[in-house]
Amino acid sequence: MFKKILFATSATGACDHAARVAFAMAGRFSAQLDIFHVIGLPTRAYSQVVIDAKTRERVEIDEEYCDWVKEELRVYYEQLLEKLAGNHTMEVAVGETHREILRKVRNDPPDLIVMGGSTRHVEDSAFRNVVTGSTFQRVAKAAPRPVLVITRPAASFWGGFSRIVVGTDFSEGADMAVEYALHLARTTGCEICLFHAVDISGLPLGQFLTQDDIEDRLRVARKRIRSRYVPQFGDIRNYTVDVWEGIPGLEIVKYAREKQADLIIMAHHARRAESGEDRMGSVMEQVIVRAGCPVLSLNRTVFK
Amino acid sequence: MPEGTLCNKRPIETDEQLKTLLADKSGKIYYEEMKHLDVDTAKLWDTIRKTMKSRLKTWLSICAHCGMCADSCFLYLINDRDPKQVPAYKIQSTLGEIVRKKGRVDNDFMHMAMETAWARCTCCNRCAMYCPHGIDVGVMMGYLRGLLYQQGFVPWEMKIGAGMHRVYRAQMDVLPEEFVDTFQWMIEESEEEYPGLTVPVDKEGADIMYTVNAREVKHYPEDLAEAAILFHIAGEDWTIPSSGWELTSLAMFAGDWEACRLQVESVYSAMERLKPKRMIGTECGHAHRATVIEGPYWAGRKDGKPPVPSIHYVEWVAEALRTGKLKIDPEKRLKRKVTLQDSCNYIRNHGLREITREIMSYIVEPGYFVDMAPNKEHNYCCGGGGGFNGIGIFRPQRNKALITKRDQILNTGAELVVAPCHNCWDAIRDLEEEYEIGISWSFLKPLLVSMVVVPEHMKPEE
Repeated sequence: MFKKILFATSATGACDHAARVAFAMAGRFSAQLDIFHVIGLPTRAYSQVVIDAKTRERVEIDEEYCDWVKEELRVYYEQLLEKLAGNHTMEVAVGETHREILRKVRNDPPDLIVMGGSTRHVEDSAFRNVVTGSTFQRVAKAAPRPVLVITRPAASFWGGFSRIVVGTDFSEGADMAVEYALHLARTTGCEICLFHAVDISGLPLGQFLTQDDIEDRLRVARKRIRSRYVPQFGDIRNYTVDVWEGIPGLEIVKYAREKQADLIIMAHHARRAESGEDRMGSVMEQVIVRAGCPVLSLNRTVFK
Repeated sequence: MPEGTLCNKRPIETDEQLKTLLADKSGKIYYEEMKHLDVDTAKLWDTIRKTMKSRLKTWLSICAHCGMCADSCFLYLINDRDPKQVPAYKIQSTLGEIVRKKGRVDNDFMHMAMETAWARCTCCNRCAMYCPHGIDVGVMMGYLRGLLYQQGFVPWEMKIGAGMHRVYRAQMDVLPEEFVDTFQWMIEESEEEYPGLTVPVDKEGADIMYTVNAREVKHYPEDLAEAAILFHIAGEDWTIPSSGWELTSLAMFAGDWEACRLQVESVYSAMERLKPKRMIGTECGHAHRATVIEGPYWAGRKDGKPPVPSIHYVEWVAEALRTGKLKIDPEKRLKRKVTLQDSCNYIRNHGLREITREIMSYIVEPGYFVDMAPNKEHNYCCGGGGGFNGIGIFRPQRNKALITKRDQILNTGAELVVAPCHNCWDAIRDLEEEYEIGISWSFLKPLLVSMVVVPEHMKPEE
């Protein structure tokens, strides 16, 4: 299923948890691991002067410098590399981070892209105030491949999947998320936990939903899941259906925690925001920064 | 003394020479060799006799030394009113001196002239507006740059830039297929969101032929996607040429007139091949000047016009908003303090000051737009024009020059600067990086894409 994994990394603490996951998966699935690092953006057109994103120094890019950076990457991931049984490649690039990642994905398509969290806390205010990391947002929106993002320690992650949560809002994107989960289940034999959160967070002040109302909605949602998705399951029996009420982002995280899930799969809803930043659905954003396990983002182009 | 291997009077003509020069990090060896470069005084004087015509001669001789140009020049003001920064002084001490000495100047002089031409003037033409005689030092500096380039006294990055145009017909090493490929990639990324989005390539007889800045292809391809999206929403019949797509001209900044000619000829050739009704360029100031205004003269076109009517991107945007081809959702208008950068090349030098303000009136919620002071054709250079942004050895001078724009922005109290010009955008980005005043800056395209009303039939099916 995963024969080629692209791990796009800033080689800083922000990607450490993601690194562990990427390497673990590469081992578990006997995949080739492509490690990709963007050094920085040239200050001028054809200029080779770049502010190295990691060292914050103004450097000049040439073959020698690139080799040095690769060596640094090797040292940084030494322990993980030692334990890696399969093949790996290492590549560095210069340009806008998300753009170079997307370019790499286009030129050398992987089965999966693995990324870490926002580098905002590590770097200075040169980066925008974005919760999940603008690079991830832009890559997840445009990449024609699933993007796995890990922002917090995925302590119990062993590389494989035994139980996955699929969050659905009954959109077309969610349909694809379920389809992908089925594919994963057929390959790995994992259990699928279909989940929907009935959103009660948007209630105007003073309004009150009775518990009966809420439970009606839960019932309707459960029925909807069964009729919309279960028929596709075929001979897969290893699944559950759950619907909770609450704030969707938090409910998914809690649900995954209770289920001790290895993975949460969600559809990415692209929406352009004011300043040109590509804001994903806020639910997904909440899940990504709070989940205790990796989160897989799928956008509509993944299935093209 | 023989010419250097890297620093000499010959232009860069091959990719190999380009790579060799690029490999000399920051031009270390290049500048070292320049210290020993001879001045071909005979050629210098001969060129002047052949190319310096009555206008420049008149300007040099009728300067009344009145000093009115002094306060007009932002570099004079920011450098503590150093008399040597007075525009009249700057040109008289360089070009004026060369003419007075009939070309008999030495290496030291040429170094000083190089610094004056590229670090003490951005060719913003502001002084021309205040001189009682209308003497344009910026224009004369352009001429001086040509002489210096011919003699080999040109900043490293400018030599490379001119070389890029000579070898690639673009300011960066974009391979022939790369442009179309990148554009199509951008379409692929956006077609989910905008069904039916395409980019017609080499279509003949289209209404619009669109040209870009090579940097968009290399580093900011989102700009290409945004351009396509806006043309798509506006229902335009447009196309891109597979060659002759580069609007910019670093060769103009470098003073390499032959490369300038070669560059614009590639665009004119595309115009002649595809016969669009008009050509629209991306958001870039000097590019418009190079290809639309000066270009026809470089290419020897007697009527001083490109083969097809050509307009600046802001003119198209204003037209689209005016005619309703693009409609702005009032809810999404900018509701924070916004100011506007007036790019010298198409505002002061091409009269589009009201056009950009017209656009602001559509996209900014009333009450939130604050003009800089001074503004319109009186606005100051961004600090990075004329190639200043790109020259490493003059970076300190450039960073100082940014202070003028920085203070102008701070005085407006704006959070966002709209800068429909690549150079201005870069300069403002650099000023934020250097001085951290906490502003955002943007081209027009991303703003428009975020607030334009998408017709129902163009929305993706849910």
